[in-house]
Amino acid sequence: MNKRLVSVVAVAAAGILLLSGCSQGSSGGGSGDKSPIVVGSVNTDSGAATFPEASQAAKAVFDQFNAQGGLDGQKIKYIAQDDKGDPATATADARQIVGQDNAVAMVGSASLIECELNAKYYEQQGILSIPGIGVDRGCFDSPNISPANVGPFNDATLTLLYGTNVLHVDHVCALLEIAGNTKPAYQAAIEKWEKVTGQKLFYADYTVPYGANDYTPYLVKAKQAGCKAIMNNPVEPDSIAMLKNAQAMGWNDVTWLLLTSVYSTNYANSVSDAGKGVYVPAEFYPFTEVNSQTKAWRDLMDKNNIKLTAFSQGGYLAATHFIQVLKQMKKDGKEITRQNVTDALHNLKPIKDPMIGTPYTFGTAKVHDNNICGWPIQLMTGTNKWAVADKGGDNWLCIPKS
Amino acid sequence: MLQGAIAGLASGGLYAVLAVCLTLMARLVRVVNFAQAATGMFGAFCAVWLVSTLGWSIPLASIVGILVGGALSALLGWIIATWLSEASTSTRSAVTVGPLLLLISLSFIMFGNKPQPFEPIIQGPAFQVVGVAVSWLTVTTVVMAVVIAVAAALVLDRTSVGTKLRALSERPITAELIGIPSRPLSVAVWAVTGVISALVIIIVAPSQANDATSLSMLIVPAAAAALVGGFRRLDLSVVGGLLLGALTGLVAQIDALSAVRNFVPFLVIVGFLLWMQRKEVWDAAR
Repeated sequence: MNKRLVSVVAVAAAGILLLSGCSQGSSGGGSGDKSPIVVGSVNTDSGAATFPEASQAAKAVFDQFNAQGGLDGQKIKYIAQDDKGDPATATADARQIVGQDNAVAMVGSASLIECELNAKYYEQQGILSIPGIGVDRGCFDSPNISPANVGPFNDATLTLLYGTNVLHVDHVCALLEIAGNTKPAYQAAIEKWEKVTGQKLFYADYTVPYGANDYTPYLVKAKQAGCKAIMNNPVEPDSIAMLKNAQAMGWNDVTWLLLTSVYSTNYANSVSDAGKGVYVPAEFYPFTEVNSQTKAWRDLMDKNNIKLTAFSQGGYLAATHFIQVLKQMKKDGKEITRQNVTDALHNLKPIKDPMIGTPYTFGTAKVHDNNICGWPIQLMTGTNKWAVADKGGDNWLCIPKS
Repeated sequence: MLQGAIAGLASGGLYAVLAVCLTLMARLVRVVNFAQAATGMFGAFCAVWLVSTLGWSIPLASIVGILVGGALSALLGWIIATWLSEASTSTRSAVTVGPLLLLISLSFIMFGNKPQPFEPIIQGPAFQVVGVAVSWLTVTTVVMAVVIAVAAALVLDRTSVGTKLRALSERPITAELIGIPSRPLSVAVWAVTGVISALVIIIVAPSQANDATSLSMLIVPAAAAALVGGFRRLDLSVVGGLLLGALTGLVAQIDALSAVRNFVPFLVIVGFLLWMQRKEVWDAAR
């Protein structure tokens, strides 16, 4: 019995290592009249890391647009699919929306994996995508995809810039969680910072794992190397774990330079000890600030019971940019077809919005990482609240053009 | 190197506590409970919900959370004792994978899939060893693992309940024939290990990644640690847990080994199986 038991454990443990997450149904789009304008998005709505708010926000924008009469009576039909973080589902979703539903554009997507997988297909089909939140590297290096957000790579450059140019911290180290092939992109982001500031990273560790339950060993290494500030690109749970591990080992004088991925009220509630502070260049104007800059978005989100997060800002912006494009096309007397929408985006004049530091453009460039501004925010020990940063938090922080 | 190993002990203590629970379950109720950490996670999440939504005090909510973890485990035990009492260990163990996935999904549905705002009960560094701060949490989990293992060994060897439990696990049918109540006893074992898992998870959750998946998947290193004791020996499962934690911490210090770091529990499992099979002849081993 013992041996059999042991084999069962081994086999099952191996199986369990591969299993996790759950799935739920996807949501369809609204209904339109005779020939609605079909717009789609592929999103990671279920699984371990999810971004459901972006497509919910985009849907809210389109619903409001339809309720106000649409484009001279022509409604938008929005199809948001869930890829469950699964590559096969993500590619199937794109083929369904583009190939069968004949979407004119992809708007408001937010997926862990979708860009990388579908970029080539979008090129073949001559369709453009405005993700609400570009997550993976593929969102920032395709001619057919131009996200509404800054993205983790420019955000990494910005957080380093803020640390050295505004906070004047030295001994800056990077602890990076590398998923897939993102290492060169992060290295390029660090090089950008090095070029602008003439500084060098004090120490870098590219081996930090995703989803570990204890980061103490990595922190011990960094502390012994003499790090005073840590640049890190974590998902929320990992960052919470890391800050708590640092606190447990009594490392209280470290400055955290993080990315928008941790900017949430949930994270602020979970972090009571933030060392010398957690600093983030928010990719959009901080959603935790209640003022005229976020009012239109906030009102719409509240009306539709959508969470106020950076993801819902991205989805909202992608959809409002797209509606501007449609209105311009109508003015120019263009019919709304995939080809015409693509041409219009290629010739798009930059769109301004109070929630973004860089006016949104699409254009015909081979890659799209034009969004280079963030709004510095901070989370200090004991506050459990995000606030606009004391230093340099009164305006956009942008990567200087080199 | 040594610093890494000491840093890894914090996880090691946690693995050891869960490994002791797994070993007890395997010995006494013939099951490898894959939902061991998941029931604890769910109890812990209930506690957080009581604090953050209903404004309960942390100690009270923690006690309720621990009881929820114990109750879930007992319910699972009751189901298995009722409908699968005669089934093989493999079948009984496979059944527990269902509740593992169910509880992860259920917690996504009920509490969202973001990490929970746990308030730390135990925090801060306790003392320094070779320049590495050992946290109170490490001290707590390591002590807890040892205490639970010793207590369990004493109960099994020195009390009449322990004797009955051993009789049930060694000779279930004979034990039932002489009138030992099998179902209540086995459900009690499930409940006790459920309570212990929920307790240790509530203690460690504030200081580590505490989303549903990472907490539930603690079962993997815990199972690897329990394997060191062959799911029979409590002392070795404690040693296994601590070693595994230290090993993970050690490997994290060596960049050249970064690729294998996430597979340490898995490598321990495979290595142990190969060791078990070392004297087998071909036909028997296949």
